[in-house]
Amino acid sequence: MVIKVLAFAGSPRRHGNSETLLDWVLASMGEDKDVSIEKIALTEANVNPCHGCNACEKLNKCVQRDGMGILHDKLIEADCIVLAAPIFCMGINAQTKSLIDRAQVFRSRKYVLRLPVVPEERKGKRLGIFLATAGQNWDHVFDAAKPSVKCFCHVIDIRDADISYLMVNNVDEKGAILAHPTAKQDAEKLGRGTIAELKKRLAA
Amino acid sequence: MVIKVLGISGSPHRHGNTETLLDSFFDGAREAGADVEKIVLKDLEYVPCKGCNVCHKTGECIVRDDVIPLIDKILAADCLAVTSPIYSMGITAELKGLIDRAQYLWARKFILKTLYFSNDHIKRHKGLFISTAGLSWDNVFDAAFPAITAFFNGTGFEYYDNIIANNMDAFGGVKKHPTALKEAFEKGKTVVEVLEKMNTLA
Repeated sequence: MVIKVLAFAGSPRRHGNSETLLDWVLASMGEDKDVSIEKIALTEANVNPCHGCNACEKLNKCVQRDGMGILHDKLIEADCIVLAAPIFCMGINAQTKSLIDRAQVFRSRKYVLRLPVVPEERKGKRLGIFLATAGQNWDHVFDAAKPSVKCFCHVIDIRDADISYLMVNNVDEKGAILAHPTAKQDAEKLGRGTIAELKKRLAA
Repeated sequence: MVIKVLGISGSPHRHGNTETLLDSFFDGAREAGADVEKIVLKDLEYVPCKGCNVCHKTGECIVRDDVIPLIDKILAADCLAVTSPIYSMGITAELKGLIDRAQYLWARKFILKTLYFSNDHIKRHKGLFISTAGLSWDNVFDAAFPAITAFFNGTGFEYYDNIIANNMDAFGGVKKHPTALKEAFEKGKTVVEVLEKMNTLA
């Protein structure tokens, strides 16, 4: 059994706090030999914003030819999607929002064209993880990011109840998360727990 | 003094529901005697914030593109209408791209302490958020507000009002909405009148 994990490092800053959190999760997942991991750094992935042209409502695909082309298939093939993003100005950063908005293709497939996004037998066997970091120490700093993440997962057939969140505030400068008392352990626990849950579901 | 109204169109889609609402807001503002100007983000050349934090030291953005003159224009306006349709429960990536780039103003305010907006300045600079959403949910705009609040705070505008209309998919567009265009017109007229009155009292 191969468990496919597709991870997005959404930050424009490579190897910063949100990507470090992601790497901890992925490293713990990778301890399992059945897990195959692909990590994509959005800052290098050439994913443009959605044009809002609604052509996908008729064509069942996006008219834009950019880095998103290969990602649409990968999003469907993966058993687990991990999205990591920093909070900028109280929301997810623009690069990550571009990826989320480009999932409009799946929304059109599901609600306009009434076609399946994943085969019936894979429903309920896909898990999502949202990782975020924020410089602000406010507890509510992640609130506005979550609805867009839920929307993204919903259209790619990851149920609301199947999304796990690990959000760490009060980490601003690069590397600040290394000094966080629990982030690393929490990330590793989440990574291992997610793989264990996926194995259970895929075996069922 | 003529009130300057700047409208930022954050939709990738020209002349759609959100921009139509902005146009109606402009009509009201013009009737009250304002100068209006529209900036269409999709026609500008700019990149999202790189998160490099150089502005935390210098107060300047190292990326020299269309955002820099746009921020200058924003700072010179009396009334700012920031507009975006709701995509995936949030504002568009184009508008978020602009908002994130204003990080250098945040740095000037809170790190370098070289930028300060007095309460009087903020009162005289009114910001409005104009948005439409296809979904009918009442909470469909909620996740957009915090970033808009952050942007108005950074640029010295009072977050004065919203002009928002949901359920566009069911209405078949903003032109078929019973009240939205009229509300936008009235709010455009009123905000300019309020600003004019403040100027005459000063």
